[in-house]
Amino acid sequence: MKLSEVQADAIQELGNIGAAHAATTLSIMLGSTIGMSVPSIKVVDLSQLGEYMGEESAAMVAFELQGEIPHGGYILFYITRESAVRLTNTMLGLTETNRPLDEMDQSALIEVGNIMVSAFLDATAELLGLVMLPSPPSLTVDMAHAAMQSLIAQLHEETNEVLLFSTELVCEEHRIDSDIIMMPETSTLVRIVELLENMVKV
Amino acid sequence: MPEPATFRNEQASMIGIGEYRVGSFPMITIGLGSCIGLTLYDPNLKLGAMVHIMLPESGGRADRPGKYADTAVPLMVRELVALGCKNRSIVAKIAGGACMFEYFGTGLNIGERNAEKVRVLLKECHIQLCAEDVGGKVGRSVTFLPADSGRVMIRRADGSLNNL
Repeated sequence: MKLSEVQADAIQELGNIGAAHAATTLSIMLGSTIGMSVPSIKVVDLSQLGEYMGEESAAMVAFELQGEIPHGGYILFYITRESAVRLTNTMLGLTETNRPLDEMDQSALIEVGNIMVSAFLDATAELLGLVMLPSPPSLTVDMAHAAMQSLIAQLHEETNEVLLFSTELVCEEHRIDSDIIMMPETSTLVRIVELLENMVKV
Repeated sequence: MPEPATFRNEQASMIGIGEYRVGSFPMITIGLGSCIGLTLYDPNLKLGAMVHIMLPESGGRADRPGKYADTAVPLMVRELVALGCKNRSIVAKIAGGACMFEYFGTGLNIGERNAEKVRVLLKECHIQLCAEDVGGKVGRSVTFLPADSGRVMIRRADGSLNNL
């Protein structure tokens, strides 16, 4: 689906609010300041996915969007492998960065993802009146493209292009760089745009 | 282990989801999760084909034949046969078909279904499947070198390399 400039702006604003809440929770968890980018919206043709997500190793905690729309798409907490180690080190009071991500790290990452995505979806639900509930989380630490591709293959609505809606959250103190990426199904996107347009009208 | 120089060759053709190429030049697909990277190679003519398949069934969609196993496999074979290859001399290799996220895999393991569909279709086309590296919970990047005896190299996120 093609978004008009007004629709894209509205969705960007929605992302701003969601990500700001997620950033606040991350800031509390790390006891440090979190910077946030302007949310970006990209319509990506499947064959070009490699230009956005490559072979880089990342930890990704994915959730299916459920609720009013039963299969609404996916939302994920994305963090590069190096940042993931620094994040869990900060949380667990460790210092060694050249190490594999063990079970403790993985639980911590899932928990961080859970808290941040819940904060994001709570904020957007409050604004829109659209309930999007996260499914139980699922973590993978591997090539970003491989993970994203697998989620796209599971979308319910067959499509040749996906909308990737992402906001970068950065903690400079601990050199942690992460993203919240939402990939809505077309039906979710249509519903969000509809609700946003109604809000503007009132 | 140092990377072979050809692994990051500038001239290698990058094959995205649903795309395919036929020729003797190096071809690459990166980050296969549940997708399948299928390579076909004819040692007599030193020609190859590679496709990046995402789903098992096209359900009648014809706009992107490389995206679905049921349209991609026959198409690849037809392309090679049109260039003079014989079915019985073509050898196939497959990689990918993983399940990256455990929770979402329940009852809907697309990777496994993709791999199985490709195997069945190759058999129907009388193409020998000579090697495979599929399944598990791991992403794979594949480099295909038709000019080097159809060599297929697979790289994982941990940096490990193996030849198929």
